[in-house]
Formats: sequence, structure tokens, C-alpha cells
Amino acid sequence: MNISRRDFMKLVGVSVASLALTRCRFAPFATCYAPMPPTPTVLPSAMERLRLCWLSFGELAQATVDEFKQVLPPSIESIPQTVIEGVEPTAAPKTNPENAFGQQLIARHRQALDEIVTAGELTRPVADLVQEAYDAAVYHVWRSNAPITCYAPVIVNYAPVSADTLVRQSELVNELASQGNINPQTLANAQAAIQHDMAFYALTDAEVSSLYDRLIAESQSQAQAVPSFENVELEASPDARAAARFIINLLTSQ
Amino acid sequence: MTLIRPRLQSLIFEVTQHCNHACLHCYNVWQAAGSYPRGELDTSRTLELLARALDETDCRHVTLTGGEPLLRCDLVSILEFLQRRRVQVTIISNGRLLSESTAASLIQLGVGLFELPLLSASPQVHDDLSGAPGAWQAVLDAMVNVRKAHGQVVSAFVATRRNITDLYETIRLAFAFGARGLMLNRFNPGGRGREHLVELLPSAEQVSLALSIAEAASVEYNLPISCSIPIQPCLIDIGRFPHLGFGFCSAGSVRAYYTLDPLGNLRPCNHSDIILGNLFETSFADLISSRQMQTFTCAIPPFCVDCSRRDECQGGCKASAQVCYGSLEAEEPFLYFNQPLARR
Repeated sequence: MNISRRDFMKLVGVSVASLALTRCRFAPFATCYAPMPPTPTVLPSAMERLRLCWLSFGELAQATVDEFKQVLPPSIESIPQTVIEGVEPTAAPKTNPENAFGQQLIARHRQALDEIVTAGELTRPVADLVQEAYDAAVYHVWRSNAPITCYAPVIVNYAPVSADTLVRQSELVNELASQGNINPQTLANAQAAIQHDMAFYALTDAEVSSLYDRLIAESQSQAQAVPSFENVELEASPDARAAARFIINLLTSQ
Repeated sequence: MTLIRPRLQSLIFEVTQHCNHACLHCYNVWQAAGSYPRGELDTSRTLELLARALDETDCRHVTLTGGEPLLRCDLVSILEFLQRRRVQVTIISNGRLLSESTAASLIQLGVGLFELPLLSASPQVHDDLSGAPGAWQAVLDAMVNVRKAHGQVVSAFVATRRNITDLYETIRLAFAFGARGLMLNRFNPGGRGREHLVELLPSAEQVSLALSIAEAASVEYNLPISCSIPIQPCLIDIGRFPHLGFGFCSAGSVRAYYTLDPLGNLRPCNHSDIILGNLFETSFADLISSRQMQTFTCAIPPFCVDCSRRDECQGGCKASAQVCYGSLEAEEPFLYFNQPLARR
């Protein structure tokens, strides 16, 4: 798959946010009678603050919903009378839902990253990509929870379409073909695109298993170990890989 | 000069006023009889304009529209610039020029979403509304081309008297061709569309029926459908359609979609012909905090003043009211023609 470095990082960010919002936990949670952690007496490290930012998407979703509940356009009473009378208005009439919490999170994330870069634990280009992924994640969570406004495009689900959807699309294209309205070449292209998506997105468990078996067999036949993450042929730059790995390590560290 | 950088969710940039279609429902403000400024800047001045807009705002998303944006020969330069500025880009196009290679290169240049019209499942109806033979076939090809390049398409269905009964079949077609969502916009008169107001404006009953159909289809195909052009709740109980998204005017808020024309004139939105000023002469912050903009934001028809939902609905589309009847406080056409049905 040919994908730009930026898009790759955005997909990483959106994927992490989606996982977080579907209650995928990155760290064990205390259960009943588990000992409470001690009250921190020192400021959390930059790495811990960074991690907290990535674990705040549930709060962001709730904050977005709350923000829009509170913010309505102005009532007539709240519009300065001077505006109605055609005299110079005295105050901005509309309050703005601005994703304030999301902006705070982005700023905190940037600050923590800057400290990590200054400490020499991460290079600036990789940090910028991590920030890019976080920005995309915050926007994704906010956009998914904010109501639409006039002419805002419909909220698009950027996740790959499901196998079920692809099958239904394929059936519909076949049905449309029988009606004879659409150019046969266009229909053939549409079917080819669906088939391509199916091959790309919708591998069954058995197919995934078979793919792994084949890769392992290939490695073994060449007397090589199974390739590590670093050696897998992903079409992403070394910086993008480093940034993705950094995020995964950040979220899976205990 | 105001020094704050206003935060914007999105900025609309009309890259060109040229178009290869002649849609009957077109709302482009320069299509109306009048003296709206025509023309466009050369590449370097255009990039200077965009730089100014992005420098003076906190905006991470730009929608490129027209006219037909793909007619602009320096579109690649514009996209490269936006990519360097790390801005997300949506393109509103009629799809006519979206070949396989063009789609792939635009996606490579960072276009995240294409909004393409799909006005009917009938080629004839789509082509007639587009004023362009072959438009329907071209847009289907464009949808396939975007899909093959792993891009995202949202279909836009403008509901008029001529095509509103085709809605269900059109949703099926959009789904089959890989649309990730559908914008169900009732015809909002403006531009050339003003000349076809009576002929095209659907009744509230027709729109209500279309919404019922869209609600069911959204569930059937698990397809997000949004109704962005305001539909007054006094005319249609929009609470009956929980799977549809409904939008209202966001002018004056962070979610406003200020529109920059090819010469640098800034307007409150793409439907409005009110020029707040030129970005080369006045800062963005000053333009959007002007008295003109505040008047736009606050306008509401007298008919709506006592309504309990006036804050949400604001009477509908005030830009359409201004363009069609010369006043931001007039009842916009959909409300005006359906007013007897209004539940107060």
C-alpha cells in the first residue's frame, strides 16, 4: 500500500483513539480491593504526562458532548439591543464551541513531547510525527462527538469498510448491471475496486492465518528467523515507523 | 488591527469561478444577475492569499470549491502549499475531470475527502439538473477512480422537485459505488438557482417523505446521511429521524465556514453574497468581527421571534433570504412557501 507519512501517522492516531473509545484498555485497571496507588508527591514525568494525554479520549468525547449541550446560538434577549437597532454592536453575540479540552490536550501533549526531545529521548522529526498522530486522534474524537452544522460534510468513517458492506456493494453493482443504465466499463471498474478492497481489507481469520503460515514458512525455508517489526517491509518511512513504535510503547508500558 | 488568530473549524476557498457544468440549482453567488466581482489571482498571489488566511487564523481544514476546482490549472501548486501547511483538504467537485490518475495524484497531495454530486439514479435526471450531458456517467467513474486510489467520497444529493422521488434508488447507487456518506441537502435557492426557484423548490411534504426514506435507507445500508441545509423544525418534526444528522446555520461560531473567493473577498458563507471585505486589505479577525458580520449572525425573521426553537434554527438559511429577497431577516424561500404548515 502506498501511503504518505502524514496519512500513516493520522491512521495510527485515529486507530488508537478508536481503540480507546471502544474501551480497549492500555493498562490494567484496579479491581475491587486492589490496593490504591500512592498519592503522587512529585510531578509526573513528561512520558507519564504524554501517556495521560493518550488515555484521555473518553473524557474528550464526554467534554465535546457537554460543550455542545451548553452552547447554543444566542437568544434574541442576549443579542445586544444596539445591534437590533442598527447601532454599533457592543459585544460578540455568539459563544463558540471550540473543543477547548481537545486544545488543552494538544498543548499538553506538545509540551511533554518538547521536554522529551530536549532530554534527547526522541528526535524532533519523530516527535513531530507523534504530535501529528495525536492531533488527528483528538480531531477524530471531537468530530465524532460534535453535531454537524450547515454544510459540514457528513461525518465520514475512515475505517475500512466491513466485508459485509463490500459483499452488499458487490451485489448491488451486479443488480445495477442488469438494469443496463451504467456503462459496462464503469461497472467492471466498480466491481474491480470492490474486489480490490476485499483483498485489501477483508481477510478472514483463516486467510490471515494462512498468510502468517506462508510468511513463517518462507522465512524458515531460507533458514531465517521470523522478521522483527523493524524488518517487516512496511511502506512507511523510518521516522514514521519510529513514531508509531513510540506510541505503542508509550501505551503498553506498565 | 486585531491581533488574535480566530480559530476556525474550516475555511472554504473558491479557487475558480469557471465551471464546466451549468447546474439549475447552482448557488454560486456570481451566477446571479448582479455585480459580484469576477476573476481570479495568479498562482503566486493566490498562495499569498492562502498564506495570509492561514497565518491570520487557527484553521486546519480547507475546502476547495468553485466553480469547478479541477479547472484551475495550478490546483497542484495550491494543494502542495496546503500540504506544506499541514492543512486537511476537502474538494467539492462535479467529478467530470476526476480521472484515475488525477484522483490518485490529488489523494497523494493530501485531499482527504471528495464531495461529489449524485442527483439521481437516472442518468437523464442527473444530466438535466447538471446542465451537462454525460455528467452522471462521469461522476460514477469519478467515484470508482477515487475508491481505487483509496480515497473517500461523500455523495451530495440536492433534493429538488425534479429528483426527490429518486432518493432511495440514488442512495442505493451511492452505497454501491462506495460513498462513505450522503449529504441530503434540500434545494437552497441562490445564484442561478434563484431563476428556478418555483420549478425546483420542493414542498415541506415532499421533503418530509424524503427524510422518511433516507432514515430507513441509512439504517438499511448503515450509511451516514446528513441534512446540512437547515430544515425548519416548525415545518418538519426532525426528531422523527434519529439516524439522520441535521445542521443549522453556524455563522459567527468557530464552526462557521467563512468563504474566500478567488480574489480574496471574504464572505460569511458560500451561499451569501455579502462581502465582508478583502483579505489583502483587512485582517481576517477584523473582517469577521465587523458590524456586518454581527448583523449577519444575529439576523432572524420576525416570523420566528416567538418560536421556542429560534436559537437552534434561526429561521433557516439567512444567506438564501438575503440573496432571494434582499434581506437577512426575510423568510427564506423554504419557510416562505411552506409557512402555512408551520406549527407554532
